[in-house]
Amino acid sequence: MAHYDDDGWGMPAAGPSRARRDTAMDVDDPPLVARAADDEPARAPRRVDFRPPPPSAETPFEQLLRHWMNERHAPDVLHAQEGLLARLLDHIKKQTDDVALLRADPDSSEDEHFRIMLVQTEAERARFALRAYIRTRLHKIEKYARYIVETPEMRERLTQAELEHAQRYAALTESHFTRAVLDALPEEQRGLDDNVPFMPPMISRPDKTRAVFAHALVQCPPVHLPDGSSMEMERGQISLTPYHVIEQLLARGEVELV
Amino acid sequence: MSSSARQFGELATQLVTESRRSSATDTLLKYNDVLVRQIVREQRQLEALIQAAMARLAEGSADGELNVTPDVLLYQTAILRNKRCLLAYHAHRVERLKDMYWAVGGALPLLLAAPAAGSTAASAGDVRAKLSPHEVDFLRAYNDSLRDFRADVLAGEELDLFAPISRPPRDLHVLVRVVRDCGVIQTEVGAIDFRRGQRFLVRRSDVEHLIVQGYLEEV
Repeated sequence: MAHYDDDGWGMPAAGPSRARRDTAMDVDDPPLVARAADDEPARAPRRVDFRPPPPSAETPFEQLLRHWMNERHAPDVLHAQEGLLARLLDHIKKQTDDVALLRADPDSSEDEHFRIMLVQTEAERARFALRAYIRTRLHKIEKYARYIVETPEMRERLTQAELEHAQRYAALTESHFTRAVLDALPEEQRGLDDNVPFMPPMISRPDKTRAVFAHALVQCPPVHLPDGSSMEMERGQISLTPYHVIEQLLARGEVELV
Repeated sequence: MSSSARQFGELATQLVTESRRSSATDTLLKYNDVLVRQIVREQRQLEALIQAAMARLAEGSADGELNVTPDVLLYQTAILRNKRCLLAYHAHRVERLKDMYWAVGGALPLLLAAPAAGSTAASAGDVRAKLSPHEVDFLRAYNDSLRDFRADVLAGEELDLFAPISRPPRDLHVLVRVVRDCGVIQTEVGAIDFRRGQRFLVRRSDVEHLIVQGYLEEV
C-alpha cells in the first residue's frame, strides 16, 4: 500500500491506477510538508536551528540535491541529514518493491510498463545522488579525520556511523605513519602534532576562508564581512564570499552554495 | 663521513620530488624503501649532532640558561623538514592508494591480486609489488572500516556505495561486452553466464560493479 503522490516526492509513483493513488494519499504517510513542520518546533528568535526550514515547495529529492551541492562546495563538513536520507532510502525501497510486484503481474498494460520504467530510472537517479552525497561527506571526513576526532563541535555534525569511521580512519593513519616512519626515528622526533612556527599545522583542518558562491533563498539577515562592513543579501542574490561569512546562513538553510 | 658533501635535506627533496612525479604522471611508483631508510639515517645523525651541541651549550653556561647557537637551530630545522617530507611522502601514497581503491569499486582482492595474464584491466597491474607491507595493511584496515560503515548506514543492498559517481545514470539498461569471464551472475531476468567476447543488454545496476572492476565493458 505504498503509494505516494508524485509531487510529494519528485518521482513518479509506481501506482497502477490514479484512483488508487488518490485514496492512498489520505491513509499513507502524512505529507512531507506536515512532517517537516513537526520537526521544527516554534523557533525562538535568534536561536540557531540547524535543521534548514525547507521551502514548502521543495521535495525531499530536491532537498537532497541541495544538501549534496552544499556539501560539495563547502570546505567544511556540514550537518548530517540523517532523517532525510533514511526517508529517501525507505521510499526507494518501497518503490522498488512495488515495481517488482507490478512487473510480476501479467495483467499490467503497456502503459503501465512504461510508467514502471520511469519509476525505475528515477530510483536509479535518486540512488546516484544519495551515494554521491555520502561519498562527498566521506571524502571530507577522511581528509579532516584527526581534526574531527579531537573537536567536539565537529563530532556533533556527523552521524554515528560517520563518526566511527572517522575515528577508525584517524587511528589508522596515525598507526600507519607511526609504523612506516616514526618508529624508525629517534625518540625525540616521534610527535604527530608538532607545532612549529612558520610551518602549517600537522592536523589539517577545513579552510573556512575559502571563497564560495552563495545563493540567497530568502531575504537574509545582515552578515559581517571580514573588513568590518556588513552585507545583506536579497532573495535570489548570488555573492562570492569567504565561507565563514555565510556559514550560519547556510546552516539555517537561508542560502545555498552554487 | 661519506655523505659530507651532501646538504641536509637533499634526500628529502628527492623523496618529495618523487611524489610530485607520481602525481604528474598519474602512476603509482614503487615504494622507495632505500631512500626512506637513508633519510631516517640522516635523522639519526642530526639528532646526535643536536644532542652534542646541546650538551656543549649546557656545559658552557653555569646558571642553566641556554644561549642557543645557530648550529642548533640549523639542525633542528633540518630535522623538522626531513620529518615533514617523510610524512608527506607517505600521506601522498596513502591518498593515491585510496584513489585506486575507489577506482576499482572497493574490490581489494582485485587490487592486490597478482597480475592476471592477458588481462586488459588497468587495475590488474603489479600493484602489490609497489607497496610496502605497511601499505598493504593500511588498505586492508581501510577496507574493513568502510565495510563497517556501509553496514551501519545503508540499508543493505538498497545502495551500492562503490558504484561510480562521475556520471549520473541515463538508462536503465546497458549494452556490455564481456572482457573477462566472470561466471554466472544473478540479474533481473535470471542468471546469466558471462563469457568472454559475448554481448548482453542488461540492467545497469545488476552489473555496475563488474564494469567498474573491468570484467565488462560498455559498448
